[in-house]
Amino acid sequence: MPEIFLLSLVYDILTKDRAENVAIIWTAFLGGLAWDLRWVGFTGFFTISYTAVVLLVMWAWSALPASGRTTSVIFFMFWGAQLIPSVLFFLTLGRDADMTFFVMQQSCAAPLSFLGTFLCYKRINRNN
Amino acid sequence: MWGKRMTLEWVNGVAALALGLLLLGASPRFPFLKNTVDFLGQILSVPEYPVVKLREFCREFYSWSLDKNELRLSLEALQNENAMLQIVGSVLLSEQIKAELASRMGAARVTLREPLGWWSEFRIDKGQNDDIVVGLPVFQNGFLVGRISSVSSFSSWVELLTSSSLMIPVVVEETRELGVVVGDGDGSVLLVYIPDGRGILPGMKVSTALVSELLPPGIPVGHIESEASASDNGYVTYKIKPGATLSALYTVSVFKYSKETTR
Repeated sequence: MPEIFLLSLVYDILTKDRAENVAIIWTAFLGGLAWDLRWVGFTGFFTISYTAVVLLVMWAWSALPASGRTTSVIFFMFWGAQLIPSVLFFLTLGRDADMTFFVMQQSCAAPLSFLGTFLCYKRINRNN
Repeated sequence: MWGKRMTLEWVNGVAALALGLLLLGASPRFPFLKNTVDFLGQILSVPEYPVVKLREFCREFYSWSLDKNELRLSLEALQNENAMLQIVGSVLLSEQIKAELASRMGAARVTLREPLGWWSEFRIDKGQNDDIVVGLPVFQNGFLVGRISSVSSFSSWVELLTSSSLMIPVVVEETRELGVVVGDGDGSVLLVYIPDGRGILPGMKVSTALVSELLPPGIPVGHIESEASASDNGYVTYKIKPGATLSALYTVSVFKYSKETTR
């Protein structure tokens, strides 16, 4: 669920008007806070992670020219957005000693990233 | 140049990050956060309930599959082991039976066969001193020849199948018909008291019957040779071809009772 939430935020950043970015930032903040309060136990960890990822995607997307916004770039946006919080969690809290959970999470997130890329690409082409 | 919009985004972003850092640093000191976590957990438990139940079901199903597979493998292993043990047991039992039969079978030499009683009886060189008693079956090559009719210290007399005074209950193995084997006193062995129309055919095997008190059941006697005659009261007499060669008796085997029976 958190991965789907984060990828949907990235989708909104890439496809919607920039006027909505502020709302997306606070949505990421609240979503991360809810995730912290539900499971992690370190309140603020995923709050910061999600907010930072959203800001990073916004900056990277705005820095890219229109010609540079290719399918591969879009895919890396999606995949990188869900990878960063997972890696931070794995490195800092380190409960998954044999990386089983991490591998399972990435194996579920990769198809979602492909799906997000496809939907985003279709939407961008339709808008253009 | 940064526009107004971008400035607004970064201000909000930095503010959200700062708030997050504040929460991260100060959360251990805020005891009310524990209540918030509990409250949020209660709210989210409602939409999570179907997924939790689904996960429990999947976990139980997986565990059940593993247990079932493990049980199936154990069962197969036990069945194989049981089959092997049965085979070993059967082999051991047959070896024991063979050893016991070999110990109870005593060879004897035919020492006298009088011409006048050629088809009635003959004498062997084993007697009371060799644990021979009246009634013991006598064999040649595994087929019944007769039974011990009298015993002395060092010799015994055997009454032949061809004797007209020896009547042995038998069964036709293929049809399970009961009859009586009796000799005609002239070298032939007859099977009598078989009802007509029972499908008795030449070649069918004849062995001693369970109903006999004289001899153990299942001792092979011979096989049906031909139909000899039919009586008026619905019974047929058959000629038996003995398995033993009654005209060439030199050595025979006497099946002695077990020591528990003789006590």
